[in-house]
Amino acid sequence: MSDIPQSRLRNFSIIAHIDHGKSTLADRLMEATHTVDPRQMTSQMLDSMDLEREKGITIKARAVRLEYAAADGLNYGLNLIDTPGHVDFAYEVSRSLQACDGAILVVDASQGIEAQTLANVHLAMKMGLVIIPVLNKIDLPASDPEAVMNELEETLAIPREEVILASAKEGRGITEILEALVKRIPAPSGPLEAPLKALVFDSHYDTYKGVVNYIRVQEGRLKMGEGITMMGSGAQCLPVELGYFRPQHVPVQVLQAGEVGYVATGLKSVRDARVGDTVTTTANPAASPLPGYQVALPLVFAGLYPVKGDDYPALREALEKLHLNDASFTFEAESSAALGFGFRCGFLGLLHMEIVQERLEREFNLQLIASAPSCKYQVHLSNGKGELLINNPAQLPSPNHIDEIREPWVNASIVTPSQYIGTIMDLSTDKRGIFDGMEYLDEKRVVMRFQIPLAELIVDYFDQLKSRTQGYASLDYVESEYRVAPLVKLDILVNGEPVDALSTIIHRDRAQGSGRNLASKLKELIPRQMFEVPIQAAIGGTIIARETVKAVRKNVLAKCYGGDITRKKKLLEKQKEGKERMKRVGSVEIPQEAFLAVLRTDSE
Amino acid sequence: MITPQPPRGLYLHVPFCRSLCPYCDFVVVAGAAAFGPRSRIGGYLRAVEREIDLRAAAVDRSFGALGSALRTGDGTRAPLESLYLGGGTPSLLPEEALAALIARVRDRFGLANGAEVTLECNPGVDERGDARAAVQAGVTRFSIGVQSMNVDALRDLGRRHTPDDVSECVAAVRAAGATSVSIDLLADLPNVSLESWAASLSDAIALDPDHMSVYALTLATDGADAGDADDRLATPAGALAWRARAAAAQDEERGAEELELLDRRLPAAGFDWYEISNWAREGHTSRHNRLYWQRAAVEAVGPGAHAFDGVRRRWNSANLDAWEASLHAGELPPGGADEPLSEEGAAAELLVLSLRMSTGVVRDEAMRGGFGEALRWGESNGLLAPHPDDSTRIQLTLRGRLLSNELFSRIV
Repeated sequence: MSDIPQSRLRNFSIIAHIDHGKSTLADRLMEATHTVDPRQMTSQMLDSMDLEREKGITIKARAVRLEYAAADGLNYGLNLIDTPGHVDFAYEVSRSLQACDGAILVVDASQGIEAQTLANVHLAMKMGLVIIPVLNKIDLPASDPEAVMNELEETLAIPREEVILASAKEGRGITEILEALVKRIPAPSGPLEAPLKALVFDSHYDTYKGVVNYIRVQEGRLKMGEGITMMGSGAQCLPVELGYFRPQHVPVQVLQAGEVGYVATGLKSVRDARVGDTVTTTANPAASPLPGYQVALPLVFAGLYPVKGDDYPALREALEKLHLNDASFTFEAESSAALGFGFRCGFLGLLHMEIVQERLEREFNLQLIASAPSCKYQVHLSNGKGELLINNPAQLPSPNHIDEIREPWVNASIVTPSQYIGTIMDLSTDKRGIFDGMEYLDEKRVVMRFQIPLAELIVDYFDQLKSRTQGYASLDYVESEYRVAPLVKLDILVNGEPVDALSTIIHRDRAQGSGRNLASKLKELIPRQMFEVPIQAAIGGTIIARETVKAVRKNVLAKCYGGDITRKKKLLEKQKEGKERMKRVGSVEIPQEAFLAVLRTDSE
Repeated sequence: MITPQPPRGLYLHVPFCRSLCPYCDFVVVAGAAAFGPRSRIGGYLRAVEREIDLRAAAVDRSFGALGSALRTGDGTRAPLESLYLGGGTPSLLPEEALAALIARVRDRFGLANGAEVTLECNPGVDERGDARAAVQAGVTRFSIGVQSMNVDALRDLGRRHTPDDVSECVAAVRAAGATSVSIDLLADLPNVSLESWAASLSDAIALDPDHMSVYALTLATDGADAGDADDRLATPAGALAWRARAAAAQDEERGAEELELLDRRLPAAGFDWYEISNWAREGHTSRHNRLYWQRAAVEAVGPGAHAFDGVRRRWNSANLDAWEASLHAGELPPGGADEPLSEEGAAAELLVLSLRMSTGVVRDEAMRGGFGEALRWGESNGLLAPHPDDSTRIQLTLRGRLLSNELFSRIV
């Protein structure tokens, strides 16, 4: 146990939009409280994954304890729980906030509040957290603190007197922030003598210590040597290690109510110690668990396949390992005639999908292809045969067995400079969005609201939004409901054989254009074969687009004399290697690159 | 165990041309190096004579001194069946130099009675040389680089001659008493319609040659064709640009139709195909080139020249300076060699080379050799069919000749 009493603990997180300076601020807070040896200080200390530093985003929640000698002469323990800022990881934010009593709201003084931030602040306020508003980057010439303070007052009812002006880059405002944490955020209040209740807000897997749970102790004490039980899973263990974060692990003997730390459980599966579970002591268990979290459900699904078929077992192993650290994605084996053996994976969003794929490729040295992303559809079968939930176009029954198909919709809100209203309106209605209203944040910025099918959002909405607004618009969305839609399965047939990896579920009105587009792209990508190869796009049995790859007519090396023989053999060997890398669809050989190219550019 | 064999032929590379053609990948030096006061032909001749001596001495050491073609097993080796002077433009060599080279080969390697001595020649007035002198020096066969009988196509290809020059050249070698006259043609030429190409073919047939080689124009546009071997020179940037333009104007369909046309027209004119790109009247197949397709041993001299001793392929550096400098210092020139092939590799290579020829292979033997899957694929796709004169053999069909790489890439 640390020597800081409960009354001098503060648990907080930082809410900020990407690039508004959250990580820099966290770095400054750690420096100012001498948490990290200056010689070991790297920028964005808390973002430990390369991927996080590269992309400038926080993917995993993290925690660190700052020990702060306040103006009142006392030492305080300030637990910072860092949260991801991207919409895909909203669930991590809500989890982290639940472990906190207050939050610093960081807003870029030149850019104002963004959609994601707005959503998170509302969430924090609903949970009763104290908000400490900070205007960052006031050193920038473009900063306009007055305008942003107006915006905060009008949209979030945050009084301007509470706002702290800061520049994390220049170290301005850091002391004020630390003092505000001490003075404004209440100390945790859980009873120390009650049976243990600790909330698991994150976890990772450690080869030596097993599952390590990040916990906020709400009531009672967690001690080394005392057996613990996961109230949700029922798993029991003896803690291998307890401690807090600086940000590296610092072992202690006891963690008590109000403290944030970790417990290494020695358990081998994250399923035994899930995020949201409550830890209690086995000998003196709590009567009821803490309210857990809503389990984050995957919204976006795609098949992940190894480029080299031999890598399938390696991919399985990699998925299992990665899943220990990120339980929010799902995977199950599937196979595709075109791509071979792989896994159907579920992700929280497109960025999450991209990150999981990149981590698999980098950390496990794999080359992967992802099939076109899909969402989860409700399929009402005819003749009272009930309902199917599918996340893979291949699972869609033929149209005569279907009464109706329902697709998920989301409520999207977009914060944007007002000059982009028109283009965002065009984009959103083009994506079947329904305009739901708009409010001005100030005279230059608006929040636009749309209802929009998730399937449209996950194709390329976000990319288009960014490019059409030069990156100025921000997007947030929440799932709303399932709605009936005239959806069809668009199949691509090569030489009469459907290529499962290229099937999509699509709105009927879009099928024609998309089918033509895919067929003409494939025509360019499929090399000439020994025979003429028709490429067709079809809905059910109806062909809606057709292209033809002509048969190869001539493939001959004319000269073959002394010096040509070696050269010719090298050429033939190259052609042979090329053939070996191809995937077979029926009797047609298609280079893997063709699938890659189509799957990467299916957004038009 | 395969052991090295004494050479049955000699390839002698003459790298000089009056000017460079942008599609050509052979080892060539042109312009001032080939003609006039700064000509390098003199230095080249001294070096290549030296190489003939050195290579012949090595052959003598390995296989015994030159004996008679009629006797074997007496510790001597047989004289060559073929000498091939290729280029470049070997007809640019001064007549006395040509005679001296052939005499030296006869002296050091031996030339059997009735050996084939081929001289490659270009039809241009300033490059065709003196056919009569060549025949007197021992040349029996002329291979003329015609390429096309279409005047615009010739200009576009960077050739120095016209169709009329071709007629004169053919007449001259005939008058000189050549035993065999071959002409080269190119197919799939950029910006040449099927009709023009057909007309050019008719004109070529009208020349009444004994042998025709027709090559689909192959344009190495990446310049990386040389690989890591130093047996080729870098392609000049201008030639690469020409090739990129020309490749864009080629047409796979049209090229295929031209080769199909060939298969109708040449047999009607008395030529039989005997190798993918070669047709001949009876008795006029190229003995030298058949040595390559039989994987027979062929020695080679000159910059960039490739030799094979039955086990290993080796080559000389294409760099004229380096090649010449070593020989002037009395040493063999720099170069490289491939690793000897495994038994299966050698069998695959022999199968591919055999299938290039109309004689094809004995089906059952080839099937037993482990190539059954590839051969059956070829049969079921119409690339291979029974030999018309020998039902135990299979040979490429016309379709098979056009698509041979589809089959061969399944064999290697």
